[in-house]
Order: sequence, then structure tokens, then C-alpha cells
Amino acid sequence: MASVHESLYFNPMMTNGVVHANVFGIKDWVTPYKISVLALLYEMTTSKPIALQERRRLNKLILPLQQGPDLTLDQFLKTVEECCPQTAYAVKLRLHEMADGELKDMEYFFATLPTPFSAIDSEAYKTSVVGLFMRHMLLAYNKLSFSQVYKLYKALQQYYHSHYSQPGDVQVGLPALAADDSDMDLTSTEDNVGERMEKEELDTAPLHESELSRGPLSQKQAEYFLARQAYLLKNDENKALKPSALQDELNNMLKFNPDFAEAHYLSYLNSMRVQDIFISTHSLLHYFDRLILSGSEGKSNGDEGYGRSLRYAALNLAALHCRFGHYQQADLALQEAIRIAQESNDHVCLQHCLSWLYTLEQMKGSDSSVLTEDSVKMAAHFCLPYLVSLGIQSLVQQGAVQGKTAHELMDALKDTDILHWKHSLSELIDISLAQTTSIWRMYGKSTMAQQQAQLLLNMNSLEQVNFGVQQNNTEAFAVALCHLAELHAEQGLYGAVSEVLKHLKEQFPPHTQHAKLWMLCDLKIQFDRAMNDGKYHLAEPHVTAIAALNKTEGLYRKAQVLKALNRTTEAYSILQRLQLYCEKTKYTEMIIRVMLVTAELHWESSGFATALPLLLQALALARQHHLQALASETILHLAFTQLMLGVPEQALGVLHEAMEPILAHGAVMDKGRALLLAARCQMAMAGTRSNGQKHAALGLAVQSLGEAAAYFSMLDCKERLRDVHYLQARLHHTLGQTPQRNKCAMLFRLLDQELQAPGAAVAILSFIQIL
Amino acid sequence: MFGDLVQIKKQLISVISLCKERGLVHSEDAQDMDALGLAKSYFDLKEYDRAAYFLRGCSSQKAYFLYMYSRYLSGEKKKDDETVDSLGPLEKGQVRNEALRELRVELSKKHSAGELDGFTLYLYGVVLRKLDLLKEAVDVFVEATHALPLHWGAWLELCNLITNIDMLKSLSLPDCWIRDFFIAHMYTELQMIKEALQKYQSLIESGFSKSTYIVSQIAVAYHNIRDIDQALALFNELREQDPFRIENMDTFSNLLYVRSMKPELSYLAHNLVGIDKYRVETCCVIGNYYSLRSQHEKAALYFQRALKLNPRCLGAWTLMGHEYMEMKNTSAAIQAYRHAIEVNKRDYRAWYGLGQTYEILKMPFYCLYYYRKAHQLRPNDSRMLVALGESYEKLSQHVEAKKCYWRAYTVGDVERMALLKLAKLHEQLNESDDAAQCYIIYIQDIFSCGEQLEHAEVSTALRYLGQYYFKNKLYEEASLCAQRCCDYNDAREEGKALLRQISQVRDHMEASNTTPVRRVSPLDLSSFSP
Repeated sequence: MASVHESLYFNPMMTNGVVHANVFGIKDWVTPYKISVLALLYEMTTSKPIALQERRRLNKLILPLQQGPDLTLDQFLKTVEECCPQTAYAVKLRLHEMADGELKDMEYFFATLPTPFSAIDSEAYKTSVVGLFMRHMLLAYNKLSFSQVYKLYKALQQYYHSHYSQPGDVQVGLPALAADDSDMDLTSTEDNVGERMEKEELDTAPLHESELSRGPLSQKQAEYFLARQAYLLKNDENKALKPSALQDELNNMLKFNPDFAEAHYLSYLNSMRVQDIFISTHSLLHYFDRLILSGSEGKSNGDEGYGRSLRYAALNLAALHCRFGHYQQADLALQEAIRIAQESNDHVCLQHCLSWLYTLEQMKGSDSSVLTEDSVKMAAHFCLPYLVSLGIQSLVQQGAVQGKTAHELMDALKDTDILHWKHSLSELIDISLAQTTSIWRMYGKSTMAQQQAQLLLNMNSLEQVNFGVQQNNTEAFAVALCHLAELHAEQGLYGAVSEVLKHLKEQFPPHTQHAKLWMLCDLKIQFDRAMNDGKYHLAEPHVTAIAALNKTEGLYRKAQVLKALNRTTEAYSILQRLQLYCEKTKYTEMIIRVMLVTAELHWESSGFATALPLLLQALALARQHHLQALASETILHLAFTQLMLGVPEQALGVLHEAMEPILAHGAVMDKGRALLLAARCQMAMAGTRSNGQKHAALGLAVQSLGEAAAYFSMLDCKERLRDVHYLQARLHHTLGQTPQRNKCAMLFRLLDQELQAPGAAVAILSFIQIL
Repeated sequence: MFGDLVQIKKQLISVISLCKERGLVHSEDAQDMDALGLAKSYFDLKEYDRAAYFLRGCSSQKAYFLYMYSRYLSGEKKKDDETVDSLGPLEKGQVRNEALRELRVELSKKHSAGELDGFTLYLYGVVLRKLDLLKEAVDVFVEATHALPLHWGAWLELCNLITNIDMLKSLSLPDCWIRDFFIAHMYTELQMIKEALQKYQSLIESGFSKSTYIVSQIAVAYHNIRDIDQALALFNELREQDPFRIENMDTFSNLLYVRSMKPELSYLAHNLVGIDKYRVETCCVIGNYYSLRSQHEKAALYFQRALKLNPRCLGAWTLMGHEYMEMKNTSAAIQAYRHAIEVNKRDYRAWYGLGQTYEILKMPFYCLYYYRKAHQLRPNDSRMLVALGESYEKLSQHVEAKKCYWRAYTVGDVERMALLKLAKLHEQLNESDDAAQCYIIYIQDIFSCGEQLEHAEVSTALRYLGQYYFKNKLYEEASLCAQRCCDYNDAREEGKALLRQISQVRDHMEASNTTPVRRVSPLDLSSFSP
């Protein structure tokens, strides 16, 4: 009834209310912009006397101009002007002739274009890039119908006059060229092109938005837009359009061309950004529904192409569910993909499935090394370097956790590195470096870790087309930066830490995928600081936040806080639970840490003897897994226990073993603690000796205490500093050095007043007994 | 409210003439008389620009409407013409009705001044809708219905813009008899069939019993809830009253198709071709006819023709999808279904069809999404639930599968397959008590509905029950089931074997004399006859 208004006339090219553009099978159309390019080419071929340098710049411009999306006349002329003002003027003149003249002027222009078939010696010869373009354009022009030619002319006039209607709009840069040029610049030895490009890059983002909101895009423009955005989503999300803006663009694009399947895929990626499972599933399935069509329409691969997209559709669905943490769903989808791939003997797809399978198993927390090894072998057999090295990397990760020796891991990583460089898999190189950082860190070699992290951050990207992206925001970078932050925090360089975190926050805004990494890192650092300062009330809220990001870590921190607050029973029960859980998941580092905290709990109840076996067990575990930092910490604990059990000689012996690695790699906190402990051992031993020796030994202890105090003050760790000052005062007193004693006593008094902790006195009493 | 039917008739007559004068073909002052007459003639000749030109200075409401309407239609016509001559993809989609913006500006000025009458308000609404200003459009249409309640066009436009029941309730509509028609129509659109039927029934009772419109709407409603007999009866009645009617006949043909009534469908198709062969409905009917005769290529051809006639014809896309499915051309089927969804996201048949396609491609997990979508749209349709259940079963997610089957049964299983499937699933999982329970309900269900269903597997059920009772030592029931088994060819031998076993055991039991434990209520078959 109401459809009167919908479509009065039947239009054969309309389906679904949308015009199908490719009815004639032509991808290239003459547009006013293309005419301008033609005019430029014409000028370049006809007017010979152009300075060599200018000609070179112009030549470099041709390809991006031909292949890039349409520019406005302003942008176009500005670009040409920068290369050669003279030619730009000539082009403008020619356009002016056409636009302000009559239709015949345009027709004349096309007639006078050098035909690629006649001009054998010119640049416009039929096989050259320019010649091909000209032929395309001529062909497209000749195919236009009467009314289309007229419309083209109208469009040209509008194009030309819009240039004058808004002259204020000059500052806009050129979007496509900025990117395309910058990678051509690699060979350029010329002046300040690089600077110019950088400046223009700043304008890129706003320009794109304004340009896009203008109206529908041509096929090429749309493709370019999609490729660019997809690349940015992968590598540097911040530079891509905002999720909502991008979605608007995509909807717009799809409205005019619902068959443009790639847009659906981008929409899938985009909604993944904002964790929208509803739209992302919808878009993904829609994409593959569309792809199945185009796959079956393609004549070259026929049925094969069709089945292929089905397999990958299921695989992608699995990936999607995996991303959202729906492991059961992912598993089902993956099984489906595997079954279809098996039925059609698609080994490559199977290989991809397999690599997802072990990833999924890993995410579920079960051991998947056998699967991974199989995957690596098979992938190597089918020549899939990406999958091979991905598999090896994941094996390395598992191996590291399970305590494989360092040289094995490093060997494997070296092998993958060779593979990466051979196939220039830049993404994997990044991952490999980040992984090395993590491994060094795990082994407690802070310098090596720092070096690797810096290497990654300072490396130039290998991507062939980088749209002005200096540093990607992939997971690898996030990991490396987090390590860097933590390493600096260990050294007490909190200024640097906040710098790094600020950068992370900018690079990975909170809503993005990898933001959780730095959030956790930030929280951990804050927690540690609060604990070191003895501000437990500040640490407590962090625990909840940490638990939200990482349950295990949260539990561990909770136990720490409870211990510090003397709620021993609760802490103990949590630790027990945690240990069981970690043993199940083989999280060795955490097991050792839990053991250490449990030992500390035993100390609280003076159960030093009970703590001993626990610590020995932890030490064995740490040594077995080459976790040097944790081993050193365990030794510290052990030494303290021995000291408390009244065997300071033993304690000192054990301590000396750990002293070297701690001073070399350890955190400032650990260094201070080690020295403090050493001093206390020395003091305890001095008590048993004769007078002369005693003095010498106490002198040594004073020295150690001084160093420890320096470390603690670096961290602003007041509680420990107070203890140190107290001990110093006592020692000076024993040695009869009154002025020093008074100074230390004063420092102690100041700190003690500041802290005002009633429980502290108890701790000090124990030292007095030793002395 | 409906007391004064005479009054209603008068109103209708007047509004029809009003509509006609304004050239509103399908829905329905003495100054400027000359200009108006001239312009109307041009308008009738489809020379819209010319009409608009001669109307430009006129001040009467009628002339103003015709003026604006000509401009609108001229824009639409040009838009359609332009698309053929577009300058390639850059322009694609840019082709739009250039007149819309101007019209909007002018109309909004007049609108804020309150100078628009019902018809112009309606036009303003259409312009707004075309410019995708849906919210404003709704407001304007509501206003238009207030100004001129009898103009059904405005109601229909409103109907297209309302997406859910809450939105419908929030609108303040004029209190007029036509409002009930609108509400009933809306209920049908929103798949609230029961409410719609009630509404229509009350309309019939209040005097509109001879309206073919209402009869056809009720028939469509019955079709939607798959009450095929009722719908068929109504359609037959409708055809008697209005033999040359083409509207809604595609729905009628769907019903005939479902019932496989070949001769009737053939008769209908020939009849409609005689009336007008270039109508979307006719093409759909012919498509259905060929499909029923398993000539799927021809069927697809006719659906394509229907789509050429009206690319936004939803049913044809879906039906074409079905045809391609029959032809095993899955990719084309997917395309057709996707098109259908693009036209109307709420088309559950297209979602269901997509699900089926992927199921055929052996991707049970993949098709879950589509079935779920379809189920969302028709929560009380057992077919989607059964399909969901089957997919879950294939994925060996038995809990979900059971839930789906049971739910399918409780919402009223059309195909009576859900219980059987549920029973078989229980059987597979060795949950014999549940399985037996399901079989019992299934048998009772089959017998109580009276009609003979082709796929009915009563014999399977009886066979299982016989064994089950036998195992539980309920020999009375077991022998009853076994005897029933003998009525079916495929289960006769087993039935006899079971009977023999039972008699053996009974002989043995009489010697030992133990009482059996009753665990499941025995099947009461005495009241039913197979």
C-alpha cells in the first residue's frame, strides 16, 4: 500500500535498493580528481624543461597519486606545488580552462591526451605505469554515456570551484601520501622531506575523519580505508579511529554497499576492541556468509575456495570465543573446524587449528606441550614458518615455567630468531624479544632483562608499510614496558617508573586489550611500595584491584597484608589454599613465594625450626628451576632462621653465598635486607669472641649497617631504617663512640616518633636479647 | 464506539474522495481551482515538475499538498533515473533525492507555524523518514493521525517505524475507530498473534464482518501461528467473497504448499496468472507451485522475477533461499537468506534457513548462532527449539539438548518430534526411567491428536516400552505393549519375541511367585486405539 513512494520505476540495476556499481565490470572510473592527475601527467610529458630535481620529485609522486584515494583539489595542488610550483600552475591553468569553459574543452582535453599506442618513446608508452593508467582512463571515458559525460563535466566544475569557495582550508595535509611517501623516503637523500612528512602526519587523523564523513567512498578508497584501519587496529590502536567513529564509518559504508564483506570483518575487529561479543559475533558470521558467496563466485578456485572459507569461518569463531574466554564454546567451534578441515584434507588449516588447540589448552590451564611439539613438527613439514616459530615460542614459555635449563630455552629462541629474520616476521621478533626479557627476569638477571627490553623498544619496525607507526602497541611492547617499570621500581627509581607507566597509559588506554598488563604492574608496584613503607591500610585496597585482574596474585597479596596485620590464621589458610592451587597449575614461582611467606608466618610464632624444612624445600625448587632471584631470597630467609636458631656462623656462611648475586642483580630492598642481616650475624658472632676481635667484628657490622641504611633510605623504607639506626646506636655505644651513637639515637627517635607503631618495640626486643 | 456504522461509512466516503484528489492512489475550497485542475492533470501524466511549476503560488491547503507532493515525487523519479547513469562507485549511494532537504526545510517552517494539514503532515513524515530522521518522523506521523485519523497511509508509515510493543504503548494515538485496526495490524507485525486475533474478532463483532481486509488479516495471523486449517478455511472464504483478490494470496499458497495440496495450488496459480501475471504475489504463488512439483530451478526463477518486481519483497528472498537449498546450492541459499535478513532483521525464517544451511554443511556449532537468533524472534516456535536441540545433541551437549526438546514440547510441538528425540536421547544416555516417561507421553500425544502422521514412530516407542516394562518386571504392561507392537510391520517380530519371553517368565514366576516393584506408572492404552 505504502510502497508507492518506495520505487516508482523499476530499475534493472537496483537490487535491494542499492545500485550495483560493477555492472560493467569496470573498477576504474573517471572522476574529477583523475582528470587532474591526467592533466598533471599531460603537463609532465609535454613540457620538457623541468629541472631534474623537480622532475624526480614529481616522478616519485605519480604512483601514490594514481593509486591513492581521491584528494580534494586543494590537497592535490598543494602536493604538486611542493614538488614543482611551475607544473602545479600549469595544471591549474588547464583545469581552469576546462572548468570555466564548455563541455567541448573537456572533450578536447581527452582528445589531445597522448595516446599510449602512438607515443612510443614517451613515458606514456602503453606498457608503462603512466601509459596503463592513461589507457584505463581513456577506456573508462569512452564508455561513458551521453548523460554521464555531462555529469562528469558538472562534477569537474564543482570540483574546481569548491577549491575557491573555501580557501581557508589550506592547512590540511595529504593522507595517503604521508604514508606512502614516508616509506619511499628510505632511498631519498633529499632535504627535509622527512620533517615535512612528520608534520603532516599530525594532520592525518582529523583529515581522515573529515574526509570520510563527506560521503560514500569509491571501491579503492574503501579498500584503502579498511586496510589502513585494520593495520592500525593490529599495531597501534590509538591511531585508529575511535571505536564508535569507526563503527559509524563502517555502517555508512555498508549502507551503500552491503556486499562489501571486508567491512564486516573490520567491524568484527572493532567490536572486539570494545569487548562487544554480540556485534562481533554477528559481524564475523556475516562476513563469512558473504565471503562464502564471493568464494564460490570466483572461478579460479571453485568449490575449493568455498569449502575453505567454511573451515576458516569455524576457526575464526573459535578464536573469537577464545578471546572472550568462552573456552567450552571455543573448544566446540575448534572441533568443528578440525573436522571439516580433516574431511577436506586441508593440512594448512589443520595446522592453524592445532596451534589454536594448544593455545586453548594452555589458556584452560592444562599441559599442552605434547600438542605443541606435534604442531611445531607438522608446521615445519608444511613450511609454515609463522606457526613453527609461534609453536616454539609457546614451548619455550612452557619450558621456562617447567624448569627447563636456560641454555635449551635460549637455543630454541635463537633458532626461532633465525627463522624470523629469514622470513621477516617482525611481529614474532617482537614477541621473541619480549619473551627473552621475561625469561631473564624470571631467572633474576635484571641487567639482561633490562637490556632486552631496551633492545625491543629501540628497534626499528620491520613492517613494510608502516603508516607512520613508530612503536606498535602490541602485547610484546606492553610486556617489555611493564618489565621495565618493575625493574625500575626494584631499583627504587620511582620517577622513572611513573614515566614508563604514563607512557603505557597513553599507548594502551584502559579499554584496550593489553591494558590489563600495565594495570596489574602498576598495582603491584604501588602495593609493594605501600608494604615497604609499612602503610598496610594503603596496601589493602590494592589487593582487591589486583584480585580482579589476577586471582592468584590477588590471593598472595592478600595473605601478605593479613600477615602484616597479624591476622595469622586467616593468612595461613589462604596460603594453604594458594599452595594447593599453584601446585596443581605448576606455577613454581608462586609456590616458592608462598613457601617463603608461610615461613615468615612460622617466624611470627617463633617456629623457626618448623620454617627450616619449608625453606630448604623452597630453595631446592628455586635452584631446580634456576630462579636465582627467588633462590637468593630463600637463602636470606634461611640465614635469618639460622640466626634465630642461634647458629650465626652457619647463617653468615649461607648468606655469603647469596650476597654476590643479590648485590649484582637484586632489588635495592633485597640488598639492604641482605646487608642488615649480615650485620646482625656479625654482631651475634662478635658476642662470643674476645675483646680485641670483638671490636674489629663490630666495626665490620657498623660498616654493613651503614650500607644497608643507604639502600633503605633510597627506598624510603622507614621501618627498616629505624631498626638499622637502633642497631647502629647500640653498636656505637658498645664501641664507645658517643657522638655517633647520639646521632644515630636521634635518628632512631625521629623515625620512631614518626611511625608511632606500638608493635615495633616487640621486634626490637629480640635484637637486644641477641646482643 | 462502533455503534454508528453509518457515520463510519460517511467518513470513509469523504476521506476517499479527499485522498483521490491528492493523488494518493493506494490509501485514500474554490480558490486556485484552475491552477489545481491543470496541475492535477499534469500530475496524473506524471509530469511532476510541470505540475509543481503551475502550483507554486497557490495558497490553498490542497494545492499546497499537491505542490509539495509533486516535488517529492519528481525528486524520487530523478533519483531512480540517475542511478542508471551513475558515474561509478564514487557516486554510488550519493544518488539521493535532492529535493528532500529543501522539502524538509520548507515543511518544517510550516510545521512550526502550525500550518500543515493531515496530508501535508503525512508528506512531512515521509520526507523525514527518507532522510533517516526516524524519531522526528514518528512524532510527525502521530500528529498526522491526529489531524486526519482516517488516512490509513499515515498509520501504515507509523507501523513501519514502530519496533516494539513498548514503543507502541508510549505513543498517544487519536481515539478513533481506525485506531483499533492499527493496533490489530501492529500486533500482527510484532508477532503478538493472540492479541491481534482478539482485536480482529472484536472488530468483526462490531459490524465489520464483511470486510475482506479483516478476514485476510485474520487468515494471515492464523498462518503465523501455524493454525493451518483455520487459515485455509478463511482464505477459501475470502476467495469466494473476493475472487479477483491478489493481495495475501502468496500466504495462501504457502499454506497450500505446507499441506501439499497440489491441485488447489495449481488452480490458484492459474487463476492468478489470469488476473495479473506481473504481480509479486502471483510470482510467489507460481514459485511455490513449481517448488511443490520439485521443479526447483523454475521456482527460483519465479522468485527472482518477484524480486525484480519488488526488491524489498521479503518472502521471496526467503523462499528463494529454500529453493536453492533444495538444489543443494548452499552458497546461493546463504546469499538469498542474507538478503532477506538485510531487508528485515526480524525474519525468523531466514535465520532458520541459514541455520539449516550450515547444518547441512555439517557445522552444528556454527549453526547454533542462527538457530538461536531464530529462536529469539519466535520464542514459542517448537521448530527452532527442536533444531537447537538437534545441534546441541550433535555437539554432545546433552543437558542443553534435553532442555531444548522439553521446551519444544511444552510450547506445543507442531511436528511432534521433540518428545521422540528427547526419549531417544534419554535412551542413549541410559536414563531408562526418563526415556520411558517420554515415550509414554509421546504415545498418548500421538494417539490423542487423532490424525496419522507419516514420520510417527509409535512402533519404536512401543518396542522400547515393552522392553522397559519387561525389565522392570511389569509383565502386564509389557505384554500390552508387545501386542500393540504387532500392529506395526517393522516391530512385529520383536513384539512376538517379547510376548514369548513374557509368557516364559510368567510360567517361571508362577512357580516362584514374587511381587514386582512398581516404579513407573503403567501406560494406559485402553482408551486409545491406534
